[in-house]
Amino acid sequence: MNFFLDSILFSYGQIFFSNRRWFGALALTATFVVPEIGSMSLLGVVISNLTALMLKYDRAKIRSGFYGFNGILFGAAVIFFYKLSFPLLLLIPLFIVITFLLASVLENYFAAVFNLPGLSIPFVIGLYVFMVFLTNYNFISVSSIKTYDVYFSIVPLWLQSYFKSLALILFQPSFISGVLISIALLFFSRTLFLLSIIAFASNVIFLNLILPQNSDSLLIITGFNSILTAFALGGSLIIPSRKSFMLAIFSVVLVIIFTGFFYKVLHGTLPVLVLPFNFIVLFTLYSLRFRQEQSDLVALYFTPGSPEENYYYHHNRQKRFERFKFYFPELPFFGEWFVSQGYEGEHTHKEEWKYALDFVIADEDGKQYKETGKELTDYYCYTIPVTSSMDGEVVKVIDGIIDNEVGKVNLEKNWGNTVIIKHGEGFYSSFSHLKEESIKVKVGDLVKKSDIVGLCGNSGRSPFPHIHFQFQAIDKLGDKTLQYPLAYFLQKTDLGLELKIFDIPEEGKSIRNIETHKSIKNAFSFSLGEKLRFKCRLKEKVFTEDWEVKVDIYNSLYLEADSGDCAFFYQTDKLFYFISYTGNKRSALYYFYLAAHQTPYCYHKNIYWKDRYSIVDLTGTRIRYLSEFFLLYKNFLTTEGKFSFGERFEDEDSFLIKNTINIQGKGLFKGFSRLFNTEIEINAEGTISRISYFETGNKTFEANSINK
Amino acid sequence: MTKKRYERPIIIKHISGLMNKFGSNPTASYKSDIDGVAVEKLVEKFGSPLFVISEKQLRQNQREAYRIFKTRYPKVQFAWSYKTNYLNAVCSVFHQENSWAEVVSEFEYEKARRLGIKGEHIIFNGPDKSREALLRAMKEKAKIHIDHFDELYTIIELTEAEKLKAKVAIRVNMDVGIYPMWDRFGFNFENGEAWQAIKRIIAAKNLELVGLHTHIGTYMMSAEAYRVAAINLGTLAKKIKNDFDKVIEYIDLGGGFASHNTLLGQYLPAEQVVPSIEQFADSISSGLFELSFTNEEMPTLILETGRALVDDAGFLISSVIANKRLSDGRRAVIIDAGVNLLFTSFWYKHKISPAQPNGSYTENTTIYGPLCMNIDCIQDSIALPALKVGEKIVIHYVGAYDMTQWMQFIAMRPNVVMVMENGSVELIRKAENIDYLMERERVPEKLLLKKK
Repeated sequence: MNFFLDSILFSYGQIFFSNRRWFGALALTATFVVPEIGSMSLLGVVISNLTALMLKYDRAKIRSGFYGFNGILFGAAVIFFYKLSFPLLLLIPLFIVITFLLASVLENYFAAVFNLPGLSIPFVIGLYVFMVFLTNYNFISVSSIKTYDVYFSIVPLWLQSYFKSLALILFQPSFISGVLISIALLFFSRTLFLLSIIAFASNVIFLNLILPQNSDSLLIITGFNSILTAFALGGSLIIPSRKSFMLAIFSVVLVIIFTGFFYKVLHGTLPVLVLPFNFIVLFTLYSLRFRQEQSDLVALYFTPGSPEENYYYHHNRQKRFERFKFYFPELPFFGEWFVSQGYEGEHTHKEEWKYALDFVIADEDGKQYKETGKELTDYYCYTIPVTSSMDGEVVKVIDGIIDNEVGKVNLEKNWGNTVIIKHGEGFYSSFSHLKEESIKVKVGDLVKKSDIVGLCGNSGRSPFPHIHFQFQAIDKLGDKTLQYPLAYFLQKTDLGLELKIFDIPEEGKSIRNIETHKSIKNAFSFSLGEKLRFKCRLKEKVFTEDWEVKVDIYNSLYLEADSGDCAFFYQTDKLFYFISYTGNKRSALYYFYLAAHQTPYCYHKNIYWKDRYSIVDLTGTRIRYLSEFFLLYKNFLTTEGKFSFGERFEDEDSFLIKNTINIQGKGLFKGFSRLFNTEIEINAEGTISRISYFETGNKTFEANSINK
Repeated sequence: MTKKRYERPIIIKHISGLMNKFGSNPTASYKSDIDGVAVEKLVEKFGSPLFVISEKQLRQNQREAYRIFKTRYPKVQFAWSYKTNYLNAVCSVFHQENSWAEVVSEFEYEKARRLGIKGEHIIFNGPDKSREALLRAMKEKAKIHIDHFDELYTIIELTEAEKLKAKVAIRVNMDVGIYPMWDRFGFNFENGEAWQAIKRIIAAKNLELVGLHTHIGTYMMSAEAYRVAAINLGTLAKKIKNDFDKVIEYIDLGGGFASHNTLLGQYLPAEQVVPSIEQFADSISSGLFELSFTNEEMPTLILETGRALVDDAGFLISSVIANKRLSDGRRAVIIDAGVNLLFTSFWYKHKISPAQPNGSYTENTTIYGPLCMNIDCIQDSIALPALKVGEKIVIHYVGAYDMTQWMQFIAMRPNVVMVMENGSVELIRKAENIDYLMERERVPEKLLLKKK
């Protein structure tokens, strides 16, 4: 029963690109402003969904309203145009089924072939067929629905027109339905609400500019097409942005032109309905697909939520994972080195060779040598091992070039002794200036990450000992450099060691590789089927929560709590991170999701790292409902987590990963700031023993692990 | 303008012309401060003699040694050799620099525990470990380095009786081309004794063999010896993996790196003949890499370096008590620090500097301590300028062994201070006094000379 109710409510929501039950319920209520229309559209969705269910279509799709909304529109439209009579009542269910069948064909076809939504085309076709078919009979009379709008003449006409445009999306003749829908929109999405107003306003302006002679007759029809089109292109099917906002306004112009076009083509025989909206949205989305760069006006690539949620999801994902790459190279040495020349360095890293790195070893005072620095052997890095940055095959070895004296360079053989390793198609790494006769590998050798390749030397164009390291696309000596980040490394700063993930080492910084710590790695190495149990205390409430590690059909691992909450995660050999969370924001799993958002498998007293959160994942963020009015312009709220290890004395066995989550307003919302803290305690055996959560310094949640 | 220092006249042979084979006249440089703190001030506040330890130098030595090893071999762990200097403050500096503790006695073990080091970060070496000590070490998961079969049997017996597991390593002795060969500790490599011990440990179900240890000697002058030692232990580790499918967690190459001190018998100064830590590290890492361990098998390299990390961080300030001419005309000075404080003077020619600027002329001088014993000679012959009574000298490189092997004999042990990184001075061991000395003593009733 719940399932069926959901399928109905979500169907109503779908019309406005909403996935909320309450929105569906409000839309449903709005249709009952005129009860005949309300009941007929309800009949439409019930029959559509029942048919789908009987024919065993995908239950999840039925529940989401995928098959139902065309039925709603059809039911409503029929009553909008015709007076209800007995023979009509017999025909309607039949045509609802026909519309459903059309929907099942078109929605799925568009999805499969173009990866586009089918929108309401099935409804338009179904209704046209119905209308043309009805001309065979003579019992048809035109609808004569009475609205009570006359009693509200106090509401200015322009406002009535706006509400009417909204109401007409559901084929409601009364502007009161529009008021309800408008309120629902406001609560569901500030972006859509704003778009509806702007789309309607631009519609009035452009209509008067483009088709002044028809401005009265077409106002409502272009109005609701404009609003729907602006919804789709401005925020619902494209991630909201300034550009999408411009696109939404431009689409209003298109709506007017195409409405004018369809109006003439159909020549009064058939209503224009939502044809302009369907046409414009589909061709715009499809044409955008052929751009070379998809970095803006991004079409939805995930299960949609509200435009705001889409915005947060997309930007969060972009900031967190955009840099993640296919290869995971690490620094090509042991211990701590110093970047003496970085990308686009002033000495030699220029033009085609700008994406290269030079490494040396420096002491506490930043000096690279002891004694006078006049002998090669004075240099700390001279004869120190250089290692492969990841697994690969040695494809080129150049040896036999003598090491220069300090201060001299060999411009003839400027690369010096060099090893080039192939890691994959189009991905090679190259080490230069190695010490003569120090290369430990030969062409054809397979090397593993951190295997020694040779020793740091001073051959080629190298006035003092250093390693020149670069990625390149082919195996040619000295080929042009490839910009490619290192998967993870630690960079020394004034505050300690900053963990960098898929980043480029900066010139003038000391850097080193991550060393995995057994206990911490154990704590985050969740394997399929593993079960965890926690005794939890949320304020006064005490409960037990169980988790299990599961995998979905796309091979994504996730933790599922017994309450059904899910947190998807990913793990590499050195890093654990959560991707998304769905469910209750008061479960241990939720707090763990916040606390372990991104965790390296290493321990250092003074290591720290940062990560971003999606604001919808956090609590106490109601301010966003206000800031979202400006989302099409800019997001005024930032959410960042700062992670570090808690102070740990030698005699302590456990590790504490601390995190401060800061929600900070910018610009207009400068005054807004909220702080949360999380802690994860990991014991020496490598199990997560405690998860804590603090709001403004007070512990509000704690979970302690219980061994099963 | 301060008054110029008076220096009494000395008579020296005039050498004219260019340099001859003996070089020019030695001139003494002076050391008037330690890490920026004036010697004069230190003595004023803490008395003379006075041991001074530089925190900065300790940390710098440890960091440098770590850097040198860490850039050559990926898994490195230092363990501070307690016997070299187990003053709490000194140990704590090393522990703060991530060193574990290497102890050779029960009281050192207890010291490490009291400083907060947990059992699993203690390496328990030495031939004398009581049953109680072993039991405690097992319970606290310390790494027990077994020295002989009798100890091994005791451990097996204890683990069975107490139903305990023990993490153990064996100490291995071997011929690495050094004379004399140290074979009194551990099990011999060449004659197969070590392998016997390994087999016995693997067979004991309550013992886990986690490491292999060797300590080839002390004040080593050959880096190559360490390469051989590393290869030998690595070979054992590989064989253990092959035969018993057991991965050895660590290889412990002990200590023994030489410091800057010059041995009595050495002709050239230490700086010129002693291998640098880089050379030791090169030999060890190249030895270990020869065995081509896989990433998972690769053992952690543990180093118990003591002397090389602490020697040059320790100074002994002493005051001149008297000047003397010996019967053969040699000059001698008596200072207030004797061999009871400077045990290492039995094998080192310490570097000694005056603590104040001097004239450019020096004289060969014998330095005696204040003890009324003939053996109390700090240095037989050293070129020193004329010193006045009450003036200070600084004895260098006394961080290792002196503050553990010192004794209360005729004179008592003085204050030890640490010059901290920020320039402040902290007292880290208070001078002993008569109360401290007599506190432990008991006089039988019968022997009492005065009324209680």
